[in-house]
Amino acid sequence: MTKTKKMVLLSFFAAGAIVLSIIESMFPVPLPIYGVKLGLANIITIVLLYFFGIREALMVVCIRVFLSTLYGGGFVVFLFSITGGILSTLVMGFLMKVFFDRLSLSSVSVVGSIMHNLGQLLVAGVVMKDFAVLGYLPVLMISGVIMGVFIGIISNFLISSLKRINVFTIKP
Amino acid sequence: MFNKMKKGDLVVGSIVLLLIIISFAGVKIYNSLGSGNGKIAVIRQNNIIIKTIDLDKLKESQEIKIDGDFHNTILLENGRIRFEDADCPDLVCVKTGWLDKNGQMAVCLPNKVSVKIEGSDEGLDGVAF
Amino acid sequence: MKNKLTLILLLIFSISLFGCSSQAAPYSPESFYMGTVINQKVYGKNAKKAGDLVIDRMKEIEASMTINTPGGEINPLNDAAGLNPVPVSPSVMFLLNKSKEYGELSQGAFDVTIGPLVKEWGIFTDNPKIPSSDKINELLKLVDYKTLLIDTMNNTAMLPMKGQIVDLGGIAKGYAGNEAIRIYKENEITSGFINLGGNVVVLGTKPDGALWNIGVQNPRDVNGKIIGKLAVKDTAIVSSGDYERFFEKDGVRYHHILDPKTGSPSKSDLIGVTIVVDSTIVTDSSTDGDALSTSVFVLGLDKGRQLVESLKGVNAVFITEDKKVYVTSGLKDKFTFDDESKVYQYVQ
Repeated sequence: MTKTKKMVLLSFFAAGAIVLSIIESMFPVPLPIYGVKLGLANIITIVLLYFFGIREALMVVCIRVFLSTLYGGGFVVFLFSITGGILSTLVMGFLMKVFFDRLSLSSVSVVGSIMHNLGQLLVAGVVMKDFAVLGYLPVLMISGVIMGVFIGIISNFLISSLKRINVFTIKP
Repeated sequence: MFNKMKKGDLVVGSIVLLLIIISFAGVKIYNSLGSGNGKIAVIRQNNIIIKTIDLDKLKESQEIKIDGDFHNTILLENGRIRFEDADCPDLVCVKTGWLDKNGQMAVCLPNKVSVKIEGSDEGLDGVAF
Repeated sequence: MKNKLTLILLLIFSISLFGCSSQAAPYSPESFYMGTVINQKVYGKNAKKAGDLVIDRMKEIEASMTINTPGGEINPLNDAAGLNPVPVSPSVMFLLNKSKEYGELSQGAFDVTIGPLVKEWGIFTDNPKIPSSDKINELLKLVDYKTLLIDTMNNTAMLPMKGQIVDLGGIAKGYAGNEAIRIYKENEITSGFINLGGNVVVLGTKPDGALWNIGVQNPRDVNGKIIGKLAVKDTAIVSSGDYERFFEKDGVRYHHILDPKTGSPSKSDLIGVTIVVDSTIVTDSSTDGDALSTSVFVLGLDKGRQLVESLKGVNAVFITEDKKVYVTSGLKDKFTFDDESKVYQYVQ
């Protein structure tokens, strides 16, 4: 596709990701660590990984994190979001590239959600100079699984719909 | 259509399950390690211990005010502790809520104050540093 | 028969009550002076009185020795550098003399005139910086404890060169610790403990006769995490390390203990040293301990150990860069190695 078309499409996705970020901060988080996010924007990441690749997905993640931090949050929230976002994007991208035919989207997104949460915990540990926060790992993993399955289903739905509209050139 | 169960899913699923079990076990062990003689809340400012309180021995609730670049009010009750009030911009510390288990911690980064529940150290009277 | 039994039981009960009273809770006030948290644990009848008197004395010492806020006795001394002598109180006179003594003993590793360089590095402020080597060399000309002029006849002191600054930071807390013990003794306290930001001094044993357990900080872990314990009585324990106050730039750690010879943070093989001084042998155990901990830290393991072993009643725990822990012979029975982080090696 042309560069312009790609830029426009990515902008749409970025906007969508930002909206998702804002919506998810309205939900209660299962954790007593403030600043941790659910990771709904992973839906966009998975769609982008499917239709484009890691580079584009990372670009949108960065844009999303920067802009949504402007909306609400501080430096700490920014750190959490960017670490969780980049880590989960890289891992999901890797999984999708290498194991595409052997994994369902739900698995990928479960791993993505877990990586997202893990990234946030690691940042929290560094920031507080104390890795006692890793005590929240079990809770985070469980919520990662739940969110992951949910996100996987939605991503699947989104990808199917987008293909039907024929906006993209499909990647093998 | 892309979400059908495939071979790899079982692998991922079992690995994740294993990780969950391990992390649970790990945390349980960590929490019980420090248990020893009770629940000691350690309050640090600028990384230096300024107060330690045995939460289990606390009979009535207590308030501690800490002044630094910002101001924190810490509330202590029998068996638990929390940041009650703060005037820092993000209020992360207050939103963390009650700490009542070994290993839990809450931090007010702007004021450089941290509260953590640690196991006691078999009766050290003080530390030279 | 029943009555006799009751009587005996009552007797035992009342005697045990008697015994229990001496284990009453200590008076444990917390105060904040000399830039640090001061914790006391005072036992006995006059515990509250003694504890409060100590707090007053701490306030006095801070006011007298400060160079970061106006007033006191050291500011006039520094302001009059290169001009005229200034009168000083017996306490300050005592400390200035003590500082010179340790300057000698440490062969210049402890130098109370290091003030100009401490100020330039700004490590105690929010904006520390690395001075240029030209600036350091320029300021080094003002550093020499031997130039400090003390007139014991007229009770005055003087700094001969303009720009010289006396900084009692390396000895004031130690002195304050000793003053606290003095006040405890004057108030018939036989069991007391004071911790001035890590400078620990204990008087006697704990009320039940047990020794005090003092931890030795792990230089590379959070405050409160130890590498070993000391079981002591009538002792002063003072530590110095590169972990207390520092800043990092380009991966290099710049700590707060300057080497008077180089004008920069000392570079020895030590990351921490804990001096243990027996108060029954050394009168000014805490004051000496404070000066010694700085000296030994700057001198390094070999020279530092030599110095410590040449002094009666003084022992030390050394923690080196390569994570080894050494103690002098006098501590073999008092020190218990206990490193939770499993990073250090105790070399016996």
